[in-house]
Amino acid sequence: MKKIITLILTVLTLTFSLQAQDARQRSVETIIGDVLAQMPAQNAATLESDMLDLVKAAPESIVKLAAMLQSAEKGANNRIEYALNGLTNYATKPGNQIWKTAVKEGLEQAIAACDNPVNKQFLESQLRLLGKPRGRMFDAPFDLQALANRARQLSAGDEVDRCKALYLTNIAYGAVPEKTLLKAVTDPSRRVRTTALRRYAPATEEFAAKVAKRFKKLSNEGKVDVLNWLGDNKIASQLPLILGQVGAAKELGAAAIEAAGKIGGNEAAEALIAQLGGDNAPAALNALKSFPGQLGNKIAAALNSAADTQLDNLVTLAGAKKMSGSADKVFELAAQGNESALKALSGVVKPTHISRLATLLDQAKASEVADYTRALSAALKTLAPAEQYTTVRKIISGASNKARFYPVLALSGTDEAVNDLVAAAREGSAEAVKALGKTGNYKAAPALLDAARKGNADALKDYIRFVDNFEKDVDRKCDAFANALAISQDPAVQSNVLAKLANTPTAKAFAVAGSYIDKPEIAIPAAEAAKKIAAKCVDDLDAGTKKDILNKAIQAFQARGMADDGYAVDEIKKMLSEMKDVSPIFTLSDEEKKAGFEMLFDGSNLDKWTGNKDGYRITNNEIYVTAGYGNGGNLYTEKQYRDFVFRFEFSFVRPGANNGVGVRTPHGVDAAYDGMCEVQVLDHNDPIYAGWLKDYQVHGSVYGVIPAKRITHKPLGEWNCEEIRVQGDHVTVTVNGEVILDGDIREACQGHNVAPDGGKVNPYTVDHRNHPGMFNETGYIGFLGHGPGVKFRNVRVLDLTPVKKAKRR
Amino acid sequence: MDSSRRSFLKKTGAGIALFTVAPRTAFGKMGGDNNYIAPSDQLTRGVIGVGGIGNSSSHFVSDQNCRLVALCDVDSEHLSKTLKRAKDTFGETPKSYTDWRDLVHDPDIDIVHIATPPHWHGIMACEAANAGKDIFCEKPMTRTIGEGKRVREAVKRNGSIFRLNTWFRFKDTFYGLGTTVQPLKKLVQSGLLGWPLTVRISGATGFAWKFFWTGKENLIPEPVPSCLDYDMWLGPAPFKPYNRHRTHGTFRGYWDYDGGGLGDMGQHYIDPVQYFLGKDDDFPVRVEIDAPQQHPDAIGIWRNITYTYADGCKIILEGEGFESSGKVPYIEGPLGKVYKGFECTIPYVMDVINELPDPEPTNTDFLECVRTRRKFSLNEDNGYHSATIVNMGVCALRLGRNLDFDPEKERFINDDAANLLIRQPMRGEWGKLLR
Repeated sequence: MKKIITLILTVLTLTFSLQAQDARQRSVETIIGDVLAQMPAQNAATLESDMLDLVKAAPESIVKLAAMLQSAEKGANNRIEYALNGLTNYATKPGNQIWKTAVKEGLEQAIAACDNPVNKQFLESQLRLLGKPRGRMFDAPFDLQALANRARQLSAGDEVDRCKALYLTNIAYGAVPEKTLLKAVTDPSRRVRTTALRRYAPATEEFAAKVAKRFKKLSNEGKVDVLNWLGDNKIASQLPLILGQVGAAKELGAAAIEAAGKIGGNEAAEALIAQLGGDNAPAALNALKSFPGQLGNKIAAALNSAADTQLDNLVTLAGAKKMSGSADKVFELAAQGNESALKALSGVVKPTHISRLATLLDQAKASEVADYTRALSAALKTLAPAEQYTTVRKIISGASNKARFYPVLALSGTDEAVNDLVAAAREGSAEAVKALGKTGNYKAAPALLDAARKGNADALKDYIRFVDNFEKDVDRKCDAFANALAISQDPAVQSNVLAKLANTPTAKAFAVAGSYIDKPEIAIPAAEAAKKIAAKCVDDLDAGTKKDILNKAIQAFQARGMADDGYAVDEIKKMLSEMKDVSPIFTLSDEEKKAGFEMLFDGSNLDKWTGNKDGYRITNNEIYVTAGYGNGGNLYTEKQYRDFVFRFEFSFVRPGANNGVGVRTPHGVDAAYDGMCEVQVLDHNDPIYAGWLKDYQVHGSVYGVIPAKRITHKPLGEWNCEEIRVQGDHVTVTVNGEVILDGDIREACQGHNVAPDGGKVNPYTVDHRNHPGMFNETGYIGFLGHGPGVKFRNVRVLDLTPVKKAKRR
Repeated sequence: MDSSRRSFLKKTGAGIALFTVAPRTAFGKMGGDNNYIAPSDQLTRGVIGVGGIGNSSSHFVSDQNCRLVALCDVDSEHLSKTLKRAKDTFGETPKSYTDWRDLVHDPDIDIVHIATPPHWHGIMACEAANAGKDIFCEKPMTRTIGEGKRVREAVKRNGSIFRLNTWFRFKDTFYGLGTTVQPLKKLVQSGLLGWPLTVRISGATGFAWKFFWTGKENLIPEPVPSCLDYDMWLGPAPFKPYNRHRTHGTFRGYWDYDGGGLGDMGQHYIDPVQYFLGKDDDFPVRVEIDAPQQHPDAIGIWRNITYTYADGCKIILEGEGFESSGKVPYIEGPLGKVYKGFECTIPYVMDVINELPDPEPTNTDFLECVRTRRKFSLNEDNGYHSATIVNMGVCALRLGRNLDFDPEKERFINDDAANLLIRQPMRGEWGKLLR
């Protein structure tokens, strides 16, 4: 018998494997190979087509795949596991039932053939998913009578047993009988009472009425339980019972108040307002804060007839809930010096109160200034900024305590307000400096920084906040935070800055954060910042520096050792394990050696270069550019060249990065004009250039003179090869093997590098500008910084200048 | 017959009432020390799992409100280190256990604190509830939908108090949002944003999915360290050869024990959303995923997971590196949007919010809940719902497809394999404790 089954199986398998020759006539092995090469699939469509290929060849494909599983020690099963799990998922997908049998069969055969327990378990787990879900949680055929009997037994047990009894009773009878419930509600155990009420009691008026009948007999604790239940279920019909308890002491009163607050309604509101004076006032105030519905009129009315003990809470509530109907009464009480009323004013005022508040503020006692300022600000804030400004200007001109109005002047945030306050600050007004911090206008930042440098700690905090909120340029932001870190020695301030610095993920910010990990009070925020920056840095980080700083960060987290620190260490270790390889040290190719090339930068040093070696720093054996434009921050060759072949590799790290190669240029000038030319280096396909970049500005162009062919660079982070050949007036640019520019610079402007009329507009150049350096005889080759985010490596040059000439120079 | 204090109290139900009816403040006034709590009123706590969160400073507390009396771990190094720390910090050495069942059945313990990897949560919570204990359970509540359901039932059956430990629905600034959840709840409830709402949980709105918790494929078996009882560490999980990456903090990267960043952080981020959307009694009806194929053992990354409720409300999770670009709202409705830092398209939104009633109060003091037997703010019911949202996403990722969910039956629609993931087999006899 067994033989026959085997035979049938073999026949079946054969049939399938014959069918398995797919449209492309691939064998099962080839299909498996093709699919495994794609594992794991990166999107649903790939997965779908891969799995369709495999499933068509099932069960054979499955048996063969499973046979490829090795012991875990080999560490080589992942692709096979992806494929098999992918198949299971495919076959169990609604609509794909037709494949289920074949996949199931394949798995069954594979399991039978598998002798590795771990792999077998994996295959079994896949097979299980092809089955049918069985049973629901409580669909076992209960013997209801037995349950009821068991419940009866348990009801004589301890409090947990009595809870279980309710549970079983509920199942046995479909609901807990009322009698049992009412008994449970009066149970001596709080666990039983609350379980009965919360879990099994119907939240109906009828049942509540029955509970209410027994209320008097309950202990205080039992009463609390019932009140909580009535409130949680909002059983309004029992409000009278609840309100009867709101005046009770301690827990009982508090429970009644909470319940009344949840149920709401006029009576409840009045009862709660009445409690605002006594021992239950805190509970009543809380309940009124979350009271459902409008309270404005009731509070206003209560304010007019309130006992002194209630006043404070009433005005507090009016202020917190913006009850402007109570404004007059609050003003009156504030004038009498009621502190709660002074605080509440800002909640109840409107623009109509502006002049009244201005007078009050001008004449206020020192202790009242803050509250009146807040109130005046609240009254002003709905006006348009310009109107706020003119209103406050007018107030100030008539005020005797002008500086008191600086904070409200700042409120408008207009440039005019900033100018006024900067002027006042220059005259030494500390109030004006403080007010500048409230303008929310970035134009106030320089004045704040100025004050911060003079030791004004509050100004520094404001400056930090402004930079954080308003500075959009990531590098300027990082510089500003670095400044702030250097100004303050206060660990709290530094921690705050480090947290913000973490959002400027640049190489510089990383170094800055790293330098503070050694300071014990701020080691953790510094380590946090370093971790966060490393995770999403827009620059390349030097591998050595990165390892050092991150290892220091790990130590800092481990030293503190709280739960989240373990997370942080995990995250950093993952980053360290995934670090990319650094560039190799390059040597000239044989062909280049033969031709006489010279290595200018092989990855190890910048000895053959002069200029801004800070902004052109060796990072991972590459030159990583951080230098900006126009700060003299360029890098030049030591030697001068006339005719040459200049070869290098470049890679964009930040999108839209911009640099250029200066040709025959003196130091410190704009090579595009005062050198022979600048050959553009630009990630020109970044969206920031869309629609406005000129032809003569795309990558490879002789800037402003000869446009290059617009190419597509390799993706960010990948390397492009470039060669610039300059001979006489001829320039040839080759990128990734393609000549993208080949032209004569003299011809391009018909010999007119400057305007013949001596003017500023030169009709002969495509950018219509003068290029006075175009016909320089010789000069340096340079990299011309236009901001961070580009890198170079493997830079070499072939000097084509005749030796004799070179000697003469 | 065990005659210890707890056991005595438990067996005489009235006893508890007698002891606790006297308010603690009364004792305090008599003693002249306002903070004095009678020993009979002091609660006691035992912690299972003292490696990561169980050893964290926020949980490593023992005071007169609640004494830390027992610790349990399957790693003897973690256990001895923490016992020593407890002695140094609190002056008394707690009892120590290596089998958590002994801790759960210790009559001197009121509260069982479950701080193990998630694959244990369901079993431990059920057993603790059945032993009459109250439960403080770390997030995520359970690793499968079915286990969550069982926990909910066991807690109900035994009248236990259950707290799921994430807290943003009732306190603390909510991650990158720079605000507590309360004003969001008020704003959403007010209807000013319109309906339905879309909530985006993303790096762009201030939330990190911690993709460093991905697993490793092709783990090479390693010898089990002598300090670790690996069989007991695995418990209900399928046996797989030991590799250090499976255990301790990095367990989060394996489906057998957790659900990656989604499993670990999901309930933190999603539970408050469920709360402010008013969906504590509801489930999404659909989960859609965009992700690379997942390995059956090691958890990988994902691009997007979108949950949709029957009324059209959506919760969108954006994976790390796959966030929407530019300024995107955290909450978006037909009438308004809320951005990070509570920036809102509704003018003077804080004034508007202040005028509205605060959300209905909930009980946020767990020990007070244990004493008064009131349900905690985040409990077995709403916790089960938000855990289920996370686990729906896990099922969809593992199967590599979108799933429809029936909120009434609490099952996936027309998908047997997905329903098989609701209730997963357990190794050995452990499944019997899930009752």
